Formats: sequence, structure tokens, C-alpha cells
Amino acid sequence: MDDTTVQVYSVIFVLATALLVYTARYFRGRRGRRRTQRKIAGFEQIPRWTLQSAESNRPLHLAFGDAGVGGEHTPSALAGAELFHHVIDGANASGIAPIVSMSAPSTLPLAQDSLRRAWHDGDTLSRARWSPRGLAYAGAVTASLAEDEPTAHVMAGSFGAELALMLECADRRGQPSLAVSDRLDGQAVAYALADHALIGEELFAASGYVSDDDAGHGDAAIIDVLRVLIIVGATIALLLGFSRELPLMSWQLALAGTAILFALVFIISRSS
Amino acid sequence: MGAPGLSAFVAFAVGVTTILSLLLGDNPALFGDQPGSGELARRLAAPGDVLLQLAVIVVAISLIIGIANLLYVHVGRLARGRFYSAVVLASFAFTIFWYVTRRGDTSLLEAVQVPIESALAALLFLSLALGGARVLQKRADLWGLLFVAVTLIALLGSLPLAELAPLKAWNDWLMAVPVSAGARAILLGIALGAVVTGLRALLGQDRSYRG
Repeated sequence: MDDTTVQVYSVIFVLATALLVYTARYFRGRRGRRRTQRKIAGFEQIPRWTLQSAESNRPLHLAFGDAGVGGEHTPSALAGAELFHHVIDGANASGIAPIVSMSAPSTLPLAQDSLRRAWHDGDTLSRARWSPRGLAYAGAVTASLAEDEPTAHVMAGSFGAELALMLECADRRGQPSLAVSDRLDGQAVAYALADHALIGEELFAASGYVSDDDAGHGDAAIIDVLRVLIIVGATIALLLGFSRELPLMSWQLALAGTAILFALVFIISRSS
Repeated sequence: MGAPGLSAFVAFAVGVTTILSLLLGDNPALFGDQPGSGELARRLAAPGDVLLQLAVIVVAISLIIGIANLLYVHVGRLARGRFYSAVVLASFAFTIFWYVTRRGDTSLLEAVQVPIESALAALLFLSLALGGARVLQKRADLWGLLFVAVTLIALLGSLPLAELAPLKAWNDWLMAVPVSAGARAILLGIALGAVVTGLRALLGQDRSYRG
């Protein structure tokens, strides 16, 4: 595929997604149009942890990891900030502000902004904490766990294998955790070591789960729609590929297979 | 227009300019065989380049904010009598002094930073091994079992022992087919989420701009 084709496809994809986002938000804004979302255990724990934080007067720990604004992890930083905004907003009934840690300095204003919006008084400046990236960040966070004794950890952003140090330390101290990373090594560690792990795009759908925000619900729906479109596209490509290799397969059969797949997806989505 | 509206407008203008510049710029073929297409493509690419360079500069400056934050947090802690914060601040001051007085000398980095990071990396291995052992405690289901089984096959299959040759074939297949497919699926999901989040920021709908 040459550069021109890629650019044309990119423009079409961006415009189509923008259209989808606005369409979803329009329908979300209408009454009686609420789609039931599948349950994600990790998100259901957050209100409980917030309550525990208020009762025990111990902070929540929210971590961006290496997700920073201005680099390839910018969407993760923005999605994490959106999630943390709702968590911090929910925690403002307690007397102690959550601690937000990050290893990308460009995320510091984002974290500070989220804290400042929810906490109008008190020392929010020292609650957003930057440490150098990688193992140094993991070392700083684990040291902080000993002193601040957070109620629970929500780690949403960009982490590598160093996430294991933080999660293991939290586990040893009996502090529950929710983790997700936009990097595969960090994601594997999150799945293995965190009490609750989000997978891949669930980080970006977070605001649709932790708040009643119509826009967030709309975005979660759009991600689901795009995911189904990719699954259908990949299935069609696979069936067409098979149809060229197998004498029994033909494009009619591939079409029929796709129609069956569509029907199955429809039935499953209606029944769940 | 209030502050949130103004910031949303600036975000929208900068975002749309950058994305159009990146998508349409630097490719004359996009505009056919017209005589001025090369010049047009270059002009379209210029705003995106400038804005991206600005972003790089802003990100570089944000490191100063990070260091200021680190110092602020630890000075506050020191006031509350935290000993480790005194160590952090003293290390910071000593490193600055070292660098200023012995310009270009990286022996402090090699003598302190590298061994400490190596020790942490060794601890990381232990944490990962411990975590692997605890997976079945946390996820006592089929998926947990599958996770541990695949991890064991991958670890044993990587060993250079002739007796484990069949496991190596399994390991190769696992890496080439299910692991690769799973990794691509996760990355595709992340990419979709990133596009939607990016558009939300681009359209000025992000929380940071809504006030």
C-alpha cells in the first residue's frame, strides 16, 4: 500500500470516527437510549475503595506511570486523567486527597488540574508526585507506599515490567489494586499481579463506567462498535483468504459465513 | 467566551491544524499531477512541523516542573522529619555539584545509579516469579490455569536442553500464533481507544477543556 492510499484511508477513518463519536453522543443525549454495558469487575471496586478511603482517612493512590502528554502515550495519559478525575471527584467527601504519581513530567499539570478541580483547599501541590521513569519510579512509589499507606491503588496509564515491583509491594501490604497498561509487558504483569486488571481499550472506556457522563457512555459504545467492525472485517478477510485456497469455498460461502457471524453477534448482544 | 470555551477552541484549532497537516502534507501525489502540488504539500506540512516542534520544547521544559515538584514534595516531607527525603535532597544537591565541578564525568552515574538499578532489576525478577506463583491464588479459574501453563511452557521451552526440545516446538507455536494474535488484539483495542480519546481531545470535549 503506497503512502497516498494510506493517507486517504487515514483521512476517511478519522472523519468516520469523528462522525461516529458525534452520532453516539447525540443518541446518548436522548432519553431512553441507555445501552446496558457489560460489567467490568475492576470498575465496580472503585466506589468501594473510595468509601474505604473516607472511612479509614487514608488516601487512594492513582498512578499514570510513564504516560505523558506530547508523546506516543498521550491518549493513555488523557484517558487516565479522565478516569482519575472521576475517582478524585468521588473521593472528595473524605478528608484526605488521593496521591497521584507519574514518571512523565508533562502529566504533572494534568494530575494537578484533576486534583485542583476536586479539592479547592488543602495542599494539592504535594499530592501530585513526579519521579524519574522506569525502575526509579517503581522504587519511589514503593517507598511512598510505606509512608502514606494508601487504601488502594488505581494504576492506569503506561507501565512496563517495573509494575511488578509496585503491585507486589501493594499485595504484601494488603492493599488492593486495579491496573492497566498500554504496553504489552505491563499489561501481562497487571493481569498476573493486580487484584483487578483492565485489558487494552477498557482504559479508554473508563469514564463510561465510573460516571453517569453521557459522553463517556457514548465513547465506550463507539469503541465497541469499532471493535465489532474490526472483528467482522478480519473475519471477512480470513474467509476470503480461505475461499481462494479451498476449492469448496467461494465468495458466496464467505458471504453466508459472514451473515451467520453477524447473526450470532446480534443474538449474543441482545441476550447479554 | 469563558476560559473553558477558549481553551477548547485553542485545542480544536491546534488539533485540527496538526492532524490535517500530518494527513495531507508532504505527499504531492495526493494532489495529482498538478504543477504546484509539491509546493502545496510542503506548505501543508509546515504548520504541523512547527506545532510538533513546539510540543517537543514544551515537554522538555516540563522536566523542570517535574524536578521542582520532586524538590517541593521532599522539602515538605523533610519538614515533617522524614529521613529519606533528606537523603534524596542531599543526593540531588551532590549530583548537581558533581556535574558542575567535573563536567562530563559520569562516574557517579556508573558507581551509584547503575548498581542500584541492577539491584532493582534483580528484585523485579523475584517479584515476577512470586507473582507468577500467586496467579492461581488470585485467579483460580481456567484462565489463570492457562496463564500459568503457557508461562511454564515458555520458560521451559527457552532452556537450551535437548530433553526439552518438544517444548521448544510448542513454545515457538505459542509465540507465533496465539501470543501474537492476542498481542495484536490488545494493541488494536488500545489503538481504537486511542483514536476515540484523541478525537475527544481534538474536538475540545476532553475533561481538561470542559472546565
